[in-house]
Amino acid sequence: MPWILGSGSSEVSALPDPLLHVQNLRTYFFTYAGIVKAVDDISLDVSKGETLGVVGESGSGKTVTAQSILRIVPSPGKIVDGTIEFEGKSLMKLREKDMQRIRGKDIAYVPQDPTSTLDPVYRVGEQLSEVIMRHHVISRKDALAKATDLLRSVEIPDPEIRISQYPHELSGGTKQRIAIARALAGDPVLIIADEPTTALDVTIQAQILDLLKELKNRLNVAMILITHDMGIVADVCDRVTVLYAGQVCESGTVEQVFEKPKHPYTQALLTSVPNLALRKEKLSVIPGNVPNLIEPPSGCRFNPRCPYAQQICIDKVPELEPIGEGRSVHCHRWKELDLKSPVAS
Amino acid sequence: MFLVPVFFGITLLVFSIERLAGDPVQLYTALNPHINEAQRQLLRQSLHLDQPIHIQYLSWLSDLLSLNLGFSYSGGSVAVLISQRLWATLELQLIGLTLSLIIAIPIGILSARKRYSVLDVTITSSSLVGTSIPIFFLGVAAILIFGYNLHWFPSGGFQSSDPSRYLYHNLLLDQAWHLFLPATVYTFAILAPVVLLVRSSMLEVLRQDYILAGRASGLSERSVMYKHGLRNALIPIVTYVGLYFGGLLAGAPVTETVFNWPGVGKLFVDYTTQLDFPVIQAVVVIITLMTLVANLVTDVTYAYIDPRIRLE
Repeated sequence: MPWILGSGSSEVSALPDPLLHVQNLRTYFFTYAGIVKAVDDISLDVSKGETLGVVGESGSGKTVTAQSILRIVPSPGKIVDGTIEFEGKSLMKLREKDMQRIRGKDIAYVPQDPTSTLDPVYRVGEQLSEVIMRHHVISRKDALAKATDLLRSVEIPDPEIRISQYPHELSGGTKQRIAIARALAGDPVLIIADEPTTALDVTIQAQILDLLKELKNRLNVAMILITHDMGIVADVCDRVTVLYAGQVCESGTVEQVFEKPKHPYTQALLTSVPNLALRKEKLSVIPGNVPNLIEPPSGCRFNPRCPYAQQICIDKVPELEPIGEGRSVHCHRWKELDLKSPVAS
Repeated sequence: MFLVPVFFGITLLVFSIERLAGDPVQLYTALNPHINEAQRQLLRQSLHLDQPIHIQYLSWLSDLLSLNLGFSYSGGSVAVLISQRLWATLELQLIGLTLSLIIAIPIGILSARKRYSVLDVTITSSSLVGTSIPIFFLGVAAILIFGYNLHWFPSGGFQSSDPSRYLYHNLLLDQAWHLFLPATVYTFAILAPVVLLVRSSMLEVLRQDYILAGRASGLSERSVMYKHGLRNALIPIVTYVGLYFGGLLAGAPVTETVFNWPGVGKLFVDYTTQLDFPVIQAVVVIITLMTLVANLVTDVTYAYIDPRIRLE
């Protein structure tokens, strides 16, 4: 476990049973308009069987972080720096061929949009057995049987019928369940789910979240759940990493972060969660917009929107500082601020 | 079933327009000072051109429906004339189309995968240049360079006229030698627009989540690109090929004239200048039929490619 020894900047404290260790990840998009620093120094850890929530607004780098871990960042994006260690081996150094053996087998991915997550021109069974056959030595017939079992395990009714249907014949919720079934096809130890409920309506959202919780308990699979919804984090996750403009604001267990946020952005995020118990007149919003990632603000990237910003926040980029109990914060003033949680009991 | 009225509409249109083009009897006899009006009338009678135009149309149509294409004014069965030349046309066009698809699809996919790279910009800009060069210019330039100056290839024709001059004394090799230049020019002419089409269609598909999901599931890049990517990008490409195939004979006159290629296109040009109505009509009927069949095949292919288009 070399990362415990610390190799310089933003060190995240070690967790028991580390599974995935991402450190100082930088992924940039080289566009005509300029270099978009979508992920700029993000570190996170996931241990075995744990569910990590990755929270942030649109454009905070959640999806690009997930794609970087799998090394499937679409062109013109490139991972320019950082380490990604999975089960102790560096994924950055693997050849593309070996990386393909990890994708879908050890680390699986559930994309954001269930309407386009399945290829419209192939039957469900074909798409599932394709992945099964890629990772297991198995005949086409047995792969189809396994595909049916997978559909059953994600609680899809009549899996024998679904298997021979095309995606356009299915509802959004069913498609998302199939996407989850496909993620399970290689018996993964880590599933990265990218906003798995965002495109679904509320009742289906709840069902999908229940399914994810159930799978996590039954299969003891670790999960990275990407979301912008603090409510989902509270419901499903063990730990949370909050992202803003391609950087980490803070990370810690869900209890720690919800009870005692250390970063002003986390506090603002928690304030903007609709809360019936508080019966506020208006929903609070965070003033301002997500910064331009081609020329991000100097110093702390949150400074233009931060109510506590001072000169040092404009002048100097803060360190991601470990503050004990497995927590870390990316703020100059966290000690003096003593933020109150809007949702603490 | 809209094909049937379309077909008859086109025959009617062609029939009336060509009658406006001029009087073939005048054309044939204009340079003969010894011919008089009575003899011209006799000639018209023998060509059935003296009858009212709707009778001419109906008798031609009934002949057509009994698969009788009639006789050329200069003698000889139209059906035989066309069938002798159809093969040359199809050979050139099919080879050009097939080769250009085989080359263009991987290039277009590569260009889409490496979007904005130097490679992509090079491919896109040279395809734009390629699309802008008319085929007759490319043809004439190729003949000038490789035929006239370098003498690598014959500058025209289907095969050497004299068997003693066959390449290596082999008829097939000789024909292939003659085919090379026109087929290459044809391939290049079709290649460029197909590359651009494949690229833009693939870019649209590559943005979809199922491509990302395919990669994230550990599928090979080839499987992601061809099995999932290309199959979904195929609809616009099939549309283009279908349209192209329909217009195949319509585009042939230019190339075949440039390369002196004895195909249907050359036949069409030669007999149009002679106002040989039966031949012109027959060629147009064949073009129409090919277009309609190509449309039908395109529609059937759509349904094969994309299950969402299939009828319940």
